[in-house]
Amino acid sequence: MSSQAKISPEELDHVAKLARIKLTEEEKTVFLPQLESVLEYLDKLNQVDTSKVSPSFQITNLTNVFRSDEVKTSLDQKSALSSASKTHDTYFVVPKTIDK
Amino acid sequence: MNLSYLTISQLHQAFLDKEISAVNIVKYYLDRIEKLDPQIKAFITVCSSEALAAAKSLDAKLASGQPVGRLAGTVMAVKDIFLTKGIQTTAASQVLKGYIPPYSSTVYQRLINEDAIIIGKTNTDPFAFGASTENSGFFTTKNPWNLNLVPGGSSGGSAAALSADLCTFALGTDTGGSIRQPASLCGVSGIKPTYGRNSRYGITAMASSFDCPGAFARTAEDLALITQITAGLDEFDATSSPEPVADYSNQLNQTSLKGLKIGLPKEYFTGSIDPEVKKIVLQAAETFKQQGAKIIDISLPSTDLGIAVYYVLVPCEISANMARYDGLRFGQSNRDSADLFSYYLETRGQFMEPELKRRILIGTYALSAGYFDAYYLKASKVRTLIKNEFTDALKNVDVILTPVSPTPAWPIGQKANDLLQMYLADVYTVCVNVAGLPAIALPAGFTPQNLPVGFQLISIFFEESKLFSLAHQYQQLTDHHLRFPKI
Repeated sequence: MSSQAKISPEELDHVAKLARIKLTEEEKTVFLPQLESVLEYLDKLNQVDTSKVSPSFQITNLTNVFRSDEVKTSLDQKSALSSASKTHDTYFVVPKTIDK
Repeated sequence: MNLSYLTISQLHQAFLDKEISAVNIVKYYLDRIEKLDPQIKAFITVCSSEALAAAKSLDAKLASGQPVGRLAGTVMAVKDIFLTKGIQTTAASQVLKGYIPPYSSTVYQRLINEDAIIIGKTNTDPFAFGASTENSGFFTTKNPWNLNLVPGGSSGGSAAALSADLCTFALGTDTGGSIRQPASLCGVSGIKPTYGRNSRYGITAMASSFDCPGAFARTAEDLALITQITAGLDEFDATSSPEPVADYSNQLNQTSLKGLKIGLPKEYFTGSIDPEVKKIVLQAAETFKQQGAKIIDISLPSTDLGIAVYYVLVPCEISANMARYDGLRFGQSNRDSADLFSYYLETRGQFMEPELKRRILIGTYALSAGYFDAYYLKASKVRTLIKNEFTDALKNVDVILTPVSPTPAWPIGQKANDLLQMYLADVYTVCVNVAGLPAIALPAGFTPQNLPVGFQLISIFFEESKLFSLAHQYQQLTDHHLRFPKI
């Protein structure tokens, strides 16, 4: 992290594409300075010496949680499909994924 | 019988004594909602017919002499990110508008199992991303104490509904302060339990290592009972804790105030804090002192880093969790797209509110190639520092007392265009989430403008019983929680 601009218009386009979100030109104009100000604020973290600190990814010290591999009743097909935008028999219908 | 502003224990007793039927209790709240909610706008969905049907069957159950649940006779409002089988769940976002979930969240279901009746789903910032409900994809909720002000957020609809007596208690979630802050701004009590104490199953996920379901109620006694019912291991949430649930309701007088060591961290009483808020919160400490508690000045030096840690880790977790909203299995979608890639872009571009997009973009940026160490890993290490400061401090004091919000409720629109100012509204609540600790927010008094101010008590992991006990005793000594808005 340096003091130059954190995020360029091109980077914003790239990140939006990675996130699968189409942004309008207006949104780009509004978001760019907002994201810049947040990312600049986050620079605070660089002032902290963490060379001897381990990261916390889980806070209450649970370790691997296992369960027995048993079949249990779950949602039936009808319920699972009940909110889908498009279905066919017992399937979700999705837009064409492979071209050929 | 006058039902106005009754607590869970009062209503439940009146119902058992057959002083009032469940149907009449539900009608009381429905009438209030009809009269007041057009102004307050706490609810996205009011489920009148479901509530009346549940009340009828509950009345029949009592009449036939069958045992009834511990919440029989009480009515709850549920933040619209809890899945409620058969009842629309929108997450206050256009993304999920019209979604009728085929199953229920664990916390909600456990309350239904005790005969609580759901009256409606409350407004929030979309997917709980915000601190005022102004980001909601539908409308902004108003603060019942002054309709020009925000109720706080993200669980602002739940706090406002309880504050205006549109329910007996309400459910919320607290990822960075989203229960405690609106509780404080609306003059009600709220509990954010230890991370993992309440199951996250069936609640739209924001940041999975932070999200904490909890409740709003008029008294600590009510919060103790609700948490007693909701807490505990859930096979559907692997991060729910196997730690046994204490008997909160029977331990309300257990923690002695005499000799109790209360830590006041200096970092929470300097900087941007409103002088009135500071004065009122220090009076709460004084109330404990008069009962023999010792007030001890402490320091939590990394407090100032909490917001930065939060706005790295939470957007990162958000960007992963929000990937599921593609409109294929649930939610609104744009079916006219030419191919799958444009379909994703257009569906997410069209239906996501600006704050969803911003946070997903921040998270995607921070997790993208080359930035992982600088943001996610760095913030996870500072998270350790913040947690360690709390756990060290709580070896020397029994409990920590702080303000909840640096200011009382602010005007609608004031911070809406300043992203960072809105993020900083959570400056006193967010570190508790970073550390995963439990905290309870309680009304502490009122500003000269008659706006409620709250304070919070923070304890070490899984010591909710201590928080309920101290809060209950505080509420025996004070009457701030018994003042209601004039609406």
